[in-house]
Amino acid sequence: MGSRSPHVMAATGPPSTPYGAGIGRRRGWWACAHHDEGGPVHRLRQIGHDEEGPVRRLPQIGYFASSPVRRAATPDRDRTMSAARRLNQAAGLLAASVLADSGVEHYRGCFENPAMYLPLASSALSLAASLHGTADARGGGHRLRDAIYALAGLTGVAGTGFHLYNIGKREGGWSWINLFYAAPVGAPMALSLSGLMGFLSERLRRTPSNRPPRLLGFPAGRTLAALTGAGLAGTTGEAGLLHFRGAFQNPAMVLPVTVPPIAAALLEATAAQDAPSPGLRRATGGLLRLTALLGFAGVGFHIYGVSRGMGGWRNWSQNVLNGPPIPAPPGFTGLALAGLAALWLLEGKQ
Amino acid sequence: MSDSRTGYEGYVTAAADPFDRPRAIGGRAPDVFRPGAWVPMRQYADTDEVDFAIVGTGAGGGTLACRLAEQGFSVVALDAGPFWRPLEDFASDETEQTKVFWMDDRLIDGDNPIKMGVNNSGKSVGGSTVHFQMVSLRFRPEWFSSRSQLGYAEDWPLDWREMWHYYDEVEDALAVAGPLHYPWGPKRKRYPYRPHELNAAALVLARGAEAMGTAWAACPLATVSAPRGLSPPCVHRGFCRIGCSTNAKQSVLTVWIPRALAAGAEIRDLAMVGRIETNDARRVTGVHYHREGQWRFQKARNVVVAGYAIETPRLLLLSESSRFPDGLANSSGLVGKYLMTQCNQSVWGLMDEEIRCYKGPPSLSINEHWNYVDRHPTKDFDGYYLFYSQGPLPLEWLAVQTGARGLWGEALRTEMEKYNHQAGLRMVGELLPYENNRVTLADETDQYGLRIPRITYTYSENDKRLIRHGMDQMEQHLRAAGATDIFRQEDDTNHLNGTARMGDNPTTSVVNADCRCWDIPNLWICDGSVFPTVGGVNPSETIQAIACRTADRIRRMAARGES
Ligand SMILES: Cc1cc2nc3c(=O)[nH]c(=O)nc-3n(C[C@H](O)[C@H](O)[C@H](O)COP(=O)(O)OP(=O)(O)OC[C@H]3O[C@@H](n4cnc5c(N)ncnc54)[C@H](O)[C@@H]3O)c2cc1C
Ligand code: SF4
Repeated sequence: MGSRSPHVMAATGPPSTPYGAGIGRRRGWWACAHHDEGGPVHRLRQIGHDEEGPVRRLPQIGYFASSPVRRAATPDRDRTMSAARRLNQAAGLLAASVLADSGVEHYRGCFENPAMYLPLASSALSLAASLHGTADARGGGHRLRDAIYALAGLTGVAGTGFHLYNIGKREGGWSWINLFYAAPVGAPMALSLSGLMGFLSERLRRTPSNRPPRLLGFPAGRTLAALTGAGLAGTTGEAGLLHFRGAFQNPAMVLPVTVPPIAAALLEATAAQDAPSPGLRRATGGLLRLTALLGFAGVGFHIYGVSRGMGGWRNWSQNVLNGPPIPAPPGFTGLALAGLAALWLLEGKQ
Repeated sequence: MSDSRTGYEGYVTAAADPFDRPRAIGGRAPDVFRPGAWVPMRQYADTDEVDFAIVGTGAGGGTLACRLAEQGFSVVALDAGPFWRPLEDFASDETEQTKVFWMDDRLIDGDNPIKMGVNNSGKSVGGSTVHFQMVSLRFRPEWFSSRSQLGYAEDWPLDWREMWHYYDEVEDALAVAGPLHYPWGPKRKRYPYRPHELNAAALVLARGAEAMGTAWAACPLATVSAPRGLSPPCVHRGFCRIGCSTNAKQSVLTVWIPRALAAGAEIRDLAMVGRIETNDARRVTGVHYHREGQWRFQKARNVVVAGYAIETPRLLLLSESSRFPDGLANSSGLVGKYLMTQCNQSVWGLMDEEIRCYKGPPSLSINEHWNYVDRHPTKDFDGYYLFYSQGPLPLEWLAVQTGARGLWGEALRTEMEKYNHQAGLRMVGELLPYENNRVTLADETDQYGLRIPRITYTYSENDKRLIRHGMDQMEQHLRAAGATDIFRQEDDTNHLNGTARMGDNPTTSVVNADCRCWDIPNLWICDGSVFPTVGGVNPSETIQAIACRTADRIRRMAARGES
């Protein structure tokens, strides 16, 4: 396979680019977000020449004590670990998005129900665990991180339940107007997705070094691609609903309902095949990068959207609450990173 | 009136008083979207014979001015009122904002004299839509043929299917925010913007309707639920009925007038038309108008009267001459007759929970059930009605307590303390056209030396039965929603229509379906006065649809070389 050798070559040492040479050449804009090359982790590596450089500098006590399991690094193992840490990044981005978004939205709702604090706590923990996981290059699981991610997953599910209840009990029940304005039906799932990504990361870390990584009983890359594709589709649904509520008044509002679903479909197609073609992988990678970019661009669009409220940014205290949610779009970026991690694993398999 | 006004905090400007002298002069007109700013405006000399001189720039005149200018006609549209920049001129203050209403002297009589002023007529560039509450509804199709299909009143000379097309055009122009599925009437195009979030008052209506088994919907409103151009989304503060200070409202002032200016129309503010001139050929030649302290004359090939149902017949009657001793367009003797208003009674109740009904556009939810029921054991009247939720501002609520309930002193104070828990339903009901309900000229004169209108109005027994039925229904719905301490506000009317009705017979109508006068082919009437019947919905969308249609008809006639 023509495209195979660069990947294999790239995988023979510490990865010089996050996704192997072929794909890595075309990346660039998220190098910082990635922390893999030029980012803090890599720099530490260069200083310490030691996979566990940053971890050593983390306090080995209390909640953030890593599990002591250590395994020898192999090329496959590097790739698996790298994917696991990328999943931590994805989980962290999703958690940060939920933390800020539910903070604003639940503040807007005056924290009427004490349960409205839960997603803040859970997403903050998930964010902390993700930062820790991103910096943690060691193999083996981490029980506390695992527990935190499980909690995030469950909180998201419970939140979805609350939101569904909130919609159903209103006058008009399951009507468009309640879908538009009652508690947003899809939002808590972003927290679940953060938990899920972290949870999968933990599973990847536990992969014995002599075995190809598997998740939920299937090859890891394919499982991750399938789950991420579904997550992207759901997130598209949420963005679509809210942009429909905004009557797609700005043509750019169409972007998050076109690019991510294509990326999701390609991911699912990739997941469905035992040996996805290089063309498909490239297309999927391209669309995922675009989706990741869109997640950040969305923040800019939403900042502009807030400025279009009465009084613009001078009236920020009202317009931030009532305008488009500034922290929401990076959820797309988080999922795109997870999708790229899935591709990374699949390439390893090739 | 002070010359420093505060709109949104931060827009404190020292704008010149728009009543002092006209703003739309010197080749520019106010930019309604930017404090202190201007847009270029084409101007005509009085001696230029423009294609159309339009009297009034409200729902009828403003819309028509825009559409005619966009079709390439030369247009001068005159309005007696000022040209506002809402961002700098409008205050969140009920007393200050009475400036947007037509408060000139008028005489009222009859058994049920119509209260005039803040409840029913405006005087501004943009007309009454500057302070309308944005409810944007379509007629029920059968109402265009009331007599032949429903057995009462009059048929319109218009086909509902054609009107459906123009309703689409108006809803697009106003970016009406409405529900995805409207429960009543034939299928319609999706509203351009999504419905607004419902306030607690709107949910009271919904709860009542669900308990009573009638349908309800988010009310289609001409205020945007998302940004649109320079209009920010509605901030739900509820000052709509005294003029929206954010420009979220899609009024004639913010929608059709800017388009008209861009297309080359001239808008003349503070220009009161006192007379339409005619010649020996029995055609009109232009309008006499008062601006900047003097009477002037604008030459025009065509004149359109669009001053609303009181000022339109008044101007036609004021323009009498030896050629037209009974006033213009009045060979049928019907100018000023068949005045209709719509009943606007309310029922109020107290809710346990806090409602704060004044937050948000006043009518966020609607129940058109009784507009679509033709026969029912309790239905003992001809005509139809709807009701919607409502949200009076404090002074308006005070007026309900002192007026409708006659409260004063301690009782008034106690009642006002319940303001935040009050919820109410308000009807808009079809009152039938009667020849004796009319506008004539009184002998008194106004500040321009023009005879003021006398407005005579009496409810029929049918009207009273409809009102009673509506109030009973509203009370039942309110009770079903859990309201207590219910009381009725028995006496209120709004919207004015009729007085220059359209038809297909010159002896029984003033204009034809194209809003063209039977008597004088270059005189047109295009506003609420052409309605033969008023239906059970608010009229402004129908007025604008008629204006759009009239513009299309004029274009076609001009293309055929008709004059
Ligand atoms: C408080 C309020 C709320 C309303 N809410 C709604 C609603 O929610 N939905 C709805 O559909 N309708 C509503 N309406 C009714 C709606 O605003 C009117 O039916 C509609 O604007 C009438 O249109 P028009 O063109 O006939 O007259 P207007 O819009 O009133 O325009 C007439 C214009 O002509 C000018 N004029 C009159 N005579 C002369 C003259 N001689 N010379 C120069 N200028 C003149 C006036 O200054 C005025 O600006 C509301 C009305 C009021 C008062
Ligand atoms: S509630 Fe909306 S439409 Fe009404 S005045 Fe306020 S911003 Fe304008």
